[in-house]
Amino acid sequence: MRHFRTLLVHELRSAFFSWNTWAAAGLFLTLMGTLHWFAVLECSRTPQAWTPVEATFRLFWLPLLCVLPLLTMRSFADERRQGTLSALLTTPASPAAIVWAKFLSAWITWALFWISFTLFPVLVNLRLGTTSEAALYDSSAMLGGLCFILVSGLLHVSIGILCSCVTRSATLAALLTFITLLALTAIGGAMESLPIESWAWLGWLREPAAHLRTFGHLQDFASGILDSRPLILYLTGTLLSLGLAVLAVEGQE
Amino acid sequence: MPETDPQPTAAVVAEMLTKRYGSLTAIENLSFSVAPGEIVGFLGPNGAGKSTTMRILAGTMAGTSGRASIWGESVALNPAAAKRHMAYMPENNPLPEDLRVEEYLTLRARLKDVAPEKISERVAKVMDDCDLTRRAKGRLIGQLSKGFKQRVGIADALLAEPKVVILDEPTIGLDPHQILGIRDLIRSLRGKMAVLISSHILHEVEQVCDKVVIINRGKLVAQGRTEDLRRELFPQAIFNLTTQATAAELKVLVSVHEPAATVEAVGTIDTTWNRIKVTLPAHSPLRETLATLMITAGMSLREIAEEHYGLEDIFLAATRRATTEGGRI
Repeated sequence: MRHFRTLLVHELRSAFFSWNTWAAAGLFLTLMGTLHWFAVLECSRTPQAWTPVEATFRLFWLPLLCVLPLLTMRSFADERRQGTLSALLTTPASPAAIVWAKFLSAWITWALFWISFTLFPVLVNLRLGTTSEAALYDSSAMLGGLCFILVSGLLHVSIGILCSCVTRSATLAALLTFITLLALTAIGGAMESLPIESWAWLGWLREPAAHLRTFGHLQDFASGILDSRPLILYLTGTLLSLGLAVLAVEGQE
Repeated sequence: MPETDPQPTAAVVAEMLTKRYGSLTAIENLSFSVAPGEIVGFLGPNGAGKSTTMRILAGTMAGTSGRASIWGESVALNPAAAKRHMAYMPENNPLPEDLRVEEYLTLRARLKDVAPEKISERVAKVMDDCDLTRRAKGRLIGQLSKGFKQRVGIADALLAEPKVVILDEPTIGLDPHQILGIRDLIRSLRGKMAVLISSHILHEVEQVCDKVVIINRGKLVAQGRTEDLRRELFPQAIFNLTTQATAAELKVLVSVHEPAATVEAVGTIDTTWNRIKVTLPAHSPLRETLATLMITAGMSLREIAEEHYGLEDIFLAATRRATTEGGRI
């Protein structure tokens, strides 16, 4: 990991100067801004049991599926297509340092997107906070939601990096990431929706279902409940994905 | 882990290297070495396995069996140490198109463990050596011509002053002026770095390299100094003469000193001058004294020249020999 810092700075710089990142940021902020705006309108018309911030964070799967693949798709696929990954591997930099630098760069970018989004609720609060009686702003829900995004983002970004490692096509990498994240989110959502408790023959699913309930994790974070199980799930998933990515980079020949 | 030898006898060692892709054998039991400071040409027809061998030596590809070491460090067992001693420029010279030349070289210097206080100096030096300073320093790599991209690749290879430089077709796609420049640059590395260079331009290799390694269909067919290979593959000496003596007269004279010599009339010039070809066996003393012998015998001699076998002839003879005999003699 000796060259990790050099590679991370290079990756962050490349991300900052890449049109791809700015296009993804534009798409993300437009999408989230629109969703938040509709949630604010809905809350301002009739009082709701939820705040606009909570509602917007519950739609985290939308940017996750549409924007995150754009951030990670080029990380390795493009380098493999151009051959620059081979050139990088001729230096003393280890494959692990390369994978971790690309991962952390993408995760920081993803985190910055979400931190930028939090400006919307803050601006709404500054504009309407003094005149509106409705609960339009909930700082604890925002902080909890952001924590969930940052923690689960470790796994989600690492999956994007892994998908980018296994192909030379950025489009295919984006598609693979989309499908994997869709499956992960859908399984998590389905686990919460299915009446597993009442189906005896699905009894064996109760335990994994309790771990994979993605939206439940968001709810827990937003409520300020700090459960170590989702943390361990996301961290081990991240380590597994990145470990596989390192193996894929080492084996690229 | 092998011990690091500060002055190994061989800078590059390939020992029984084999690489298989399923049922296809790209290289088989390939063994050769490059001494420190030596410039070695790595030759072979397309698909012979040159790039595969170079990639294994550079550590970007794992061999199926055998041993590769760079400056005494095993490429497979201690890749980081081996890479610290080595620089590799692949055939297509992939470069990130969105970086400026100076930025790219600075990044590469950091990754190659150049001391932080020396990075600016080294980058400036290699840019100067590769004639990049004036015309390419601040330009995006994607905007450079093929020739300048090749120069950036070579500058990158020289950046950390490695002990071993592996260049896969460094002059491909360059114009004659650029080839001359790169050739001079590589020549200037003699004695400082061990250079393994593959090229299809055999004349260029002959001009630059101390030694050649020739492979065909993944197998070694010849290696050594060009002169030694010339003697090995073309043991006979062939002289082309223009003289007033006839082939028969010359045959009588030559046979006295070298019975195994053959003399053959090739043609005439201006009806009085005969063109004759004399073939002498290997190590014949007449090789040095044929002209003196003729003049002493009173034969007029207008021209005498020994046929020269270039690297192209050596290459063709070596690969032909391997094809007909199934391997190296």
